[in-house]
Amino acid sequence: MPDTTPPPLPPQYTGPGSPKDVPPPHGPPPIDPASMPKPIRDELLAPDPVAIDTSSDELKDGLNRCPKCGSTDIRQKPGTDVLVCRYCRNEWHAERVEEEFGLGEGIDKLQGTVIASGARDIAADAAAMMTFKCPGCGAEVTVNTENAMTARCHWCRHVFGVNEQIANGAVPDAVLPFHIKKDDAVARIRQFVDKRRLFALKAFKQEFTPENVVGVYLPYMIVDGNTSADLAGQGEIETRRYTEGSGDSKKTYYDADVYQVARHVDFTVDDLPLESSSERGNLDTRTNTNNIINTILPFDTKNAVKWNASYLSGFSTEKRDRDVEQLRPRLEDELLSIARAQVQSSVDRYDRGVRWEHERLAVHGTRWVAMYLPVWLYSYHQPGPNGGLLHYIAVNGRTGETMGSVPVQQWKLLLAAISVGTFVETIALFILAHST
Amino acid sequence: MSDDGSLWLLLAGPASATGLYWALYRYYRNTDKSHDFEHETAVVAKVTGTDEKVGEVRGTRESRIRGDNVREYRQRVGVPDDDS
Repeated sequence: MPDTTPPPLPPQYTGPGSPKDVPPPHGPPPIDPASMPKPIRDELLAPDPVAIDTSSDELKDGLNRCPKCGSTDIRQKPGTDVLVCRYCRNEWHAERVEEEFGLGEGIDKLQGTVIASGARDIAADAAAMMTFKCPGCGAEVTVNTENAMTARCHWCRHVFGVNEQIANGAVPDAVLPFHIKKDDAVARIRQFVDKRRLFALKAFKQEFTPENVVGVYLPYMIVDGNTSADLAGQGEIETRRYTEGSGDSKKTYYDADVYQVARHVDFTVDDLPLESSSERGNLDTRTNTNNIINTILPFDTKNAVKWNASYLSGFSTEKRDRDVEQLRPRLEDELLSIARAQVQSSVDRYDRGVRWEHERLAVHGTRWVAMYLPVWLYSYHQPGPNGGLLHYIAVNGRTGETMGSVPVQQWKLLLAAISVGTFVETIALFILAHST
Repeated sequence: MSDDGSLWLLLAGPASATGLYWALYRYYRNTDKSHDFEHETAVVAKVTGTDEKVGEVRGTRESRIRGDNVREYRQRVGVPDDDS
């Protein structure tokens, strides 16, 4: 019988912030905001984050009915944003969130954090499994929101969709329906791999079946931001270039003027997508190939429609597990990168380059909308140490942009590289032998 | 035969082998790719700033400023110490 005694617990932390500290009493804060300096006062008095309510009352019972005949057997018409009733062939579509909730407007006036109702924090106790009572026959139908958002009642064949914005992160504000059809995605993946066959892993080529591609709705946060940034550094402009010495000892020297450069940039960002699943947001290329899915961004998120689970039938989904606050460091990093890119054209005159030494970001306002974006994913698992590596080939479900990771046959690649190296080296030795 | 120029030529073989290996590896695995959000996001920006000459460099052999990071957008640099 193995020893089941757990290892001893580490000593309890008793400093500030530990559970032994008595929390402050409830009620108004002990300091009067009026006596504080303006920046602190503004923060204390700022209103709570405003939520844009994107939930659909008419869909809350889980049944998406055809507005004409009331049937629940609804599908997306492939290649369009239109929903079609499979019973009476009636066609309609959900409203675009851009106009419905005014998401494209007033980015330069954004203050504080505006969070749409589908992007709210995930409740710790929210379960992934959701159970509906079928209004048609009274049976219970369960939907596992980890990977699906629709289910069919086994008894009366009603189709259920998860429409209520439950606090488990599974229901976003908006969805961008697939436009690229499966055949198209298969052709694009085949074309991508056909250009990369010579050094591809043999097993990958043998098992290559692009027909196994899966349509997945992946969770993203689409962020608008009203921001400014300050940058400071040094730049150099070449004033003279001259050479000294002759023959092989010839050396080039440069003279330059040094400038202290400072830039301030006020900018707004419209619809910046961030992965809101912790797994997909991990872009470490040594352990995964999620950077492939990251590369096929961006999407035409302006065309996203209000959430309706009927768009998802036939596709699988991944659930969001990251909240706004957890994504904020990543957002700020990307905003700083955008600021650096924006000032580049203003420092063109420094022909010897600029060394930025300091940078600072001030985010005035952000608006967060949770969205499902359509991706065709083909995956291949390459065995290896630490569980191997999962290679993806991804097709953007709207633009068709394709990117992939094709596993390589190492010995073939090394052989090719060494052969070419040997060939070049032979020529080099030949030249050396004849130049003496 | 033993001068610099000729010895550099001996490195041509290993250099071309390494270069070809990495070029092909990246073409297959695309490990260097990611979303080019700096250029693919709708941004409206207004840039202002100051430029002040603070000195001169004479006779350096470096063709670029040391630590040039004007194109390394994603490389983070320090936050200024003061709040001025």
